[in-house]
Amino acid sequence: MTKKIPLSLQDSLFVGFCATLLVALTGMLRLKLGLSGHSMFLMSFFYLICYGVLGRFGSMTACGVIAGIVAMALGVGKGGPMILLKFALPAIAMDLVALLLPLSMNLHWRCVILGIAGCIAWAGKVALTNVLAGMALDVVLIQWGLSVLKGGFFATLGAWLVPPVLTRLKAHDLLHRDKF
Amino acid sequence: MWASCRRLRALRHWSYERRETALCALSLLLVCVLSACAFVLPTYLLLPLAGLNGLLVIHGLLRRGSIWGVLKLGLVQLSITLSLYLILYGVEHLAQGAVVVARIILATIPGWWLCITAAPERIGEVLSAFLPTKWAFVVAASLSLLPYMADEIREIYQIQCLRGARITPKALRNPKNWSELVYCVLFPVLIQLLKLSRQMAVAAQSRHFGIAQRPTHWHSPRDKND
Repeated sequence: MTKKIPLSLQDSLFVGFCATLLVALTGMLRLKLGLSGHSMFLMSFFYLICYGVLGRFGSMTACGVIAGIVAMALGVGKGGPMILLKFALPAIAMDLVALLLPLSMNLHWRCVILGIAGCIAWAGKVALTNVLAGMALDVVLIQWGLSVLKGGFFATLGAWLVPPVLTRLKAHDLLHRDKF
Repeated sequence: MWASCRRLRALRHWSYERRETALCALSLLLVCVLSACAFVLPTYLLLPLAGLNGLLVIHGLLRRGSIWGVLKLGLVQLSITLSLYLILYGVEHLAQGAVVVARIILATIPGWWLCITAAPERIGEVLSAFLPTKWAFVVAASLSLLPYMADEIREIYQIQCLRGARITPKALRNPKNWSELVYCVLFPVLIQLLKLSRQMAVAAQSRHFGIAQRPTHWHSPRDKND
């Protein structure tokens, strides 16, 4: 992963579209499923697609922050400014962990590790809200553990789908990278 | 005389636009303050805060907003938290659990109200004061292209169903077919997004996007009719 900070307008627009699609699909799935933690499936999928397609430090964070702003504007999460944290925290965690992971590692495993890191941060936001609201620490920890379990399952599923999609995009000559 | 008339009209138009943007910025600030108050205020001040939130709910309902989503969130949170408090601490601490859930709902209501009362393009304009111009443009473009993206997804889904892909609601009851949904719908959508972002970037740059120091913002004429 190269560490050039400024993204071109085309890359920024791609990140923005991915973020909007993530928010729209999250809203639709919430209506259909009503399951807690399923948003991690789409979150890990789209963040890792941005990571794979752009291959730059900060691409996942940009996607997360824009998703938070779009969700706030569209009222998807009904959380107001807190929804920004819900989308941004996992993205920041995934970007930071991506810096630590060796590029020689298998892409499948890298994606799964990043997905789980994002899930832990996502559950951390839930725990932070509960702590701020004055919830007992035992209850906060149990709810955090349940969130990690449920979100981790969906995040791993989403992460597992990313490498084949990236390979297909590469086969269609839509990526400008030689190696993931 | 005609020139002064035109100048007066332009000034009135400009002040209307400024008022709309300032109102949106104030709403955003109010939402942040009220959400923070829900967590920070002591318990005895929660009742006045609930009164303020009640006014926001009434205003939101008058603007034809649906409160059902917030109510559902509150009920789910209440049932999980109260059952955990009951198991861990017994009946005497149930009220404490209820206060915690009340704080979470009070933090949620202002966000719901903002989404009903503020237009997305106004929020985009307010955000452009904090975000770099490029990212404010990206957010505004993404929001305005959402209906187009929804149409694209629907079209791709219907075409893939006609081709015989196992992605109909009935077929998707089987988890084995879920991966087909990704390859038949999400993959073509990603290709479309890559193409769309390239086209939009070329269109914007050919119109000298990013060159002017102080970019202008679009104000829809329909705002004035609302």
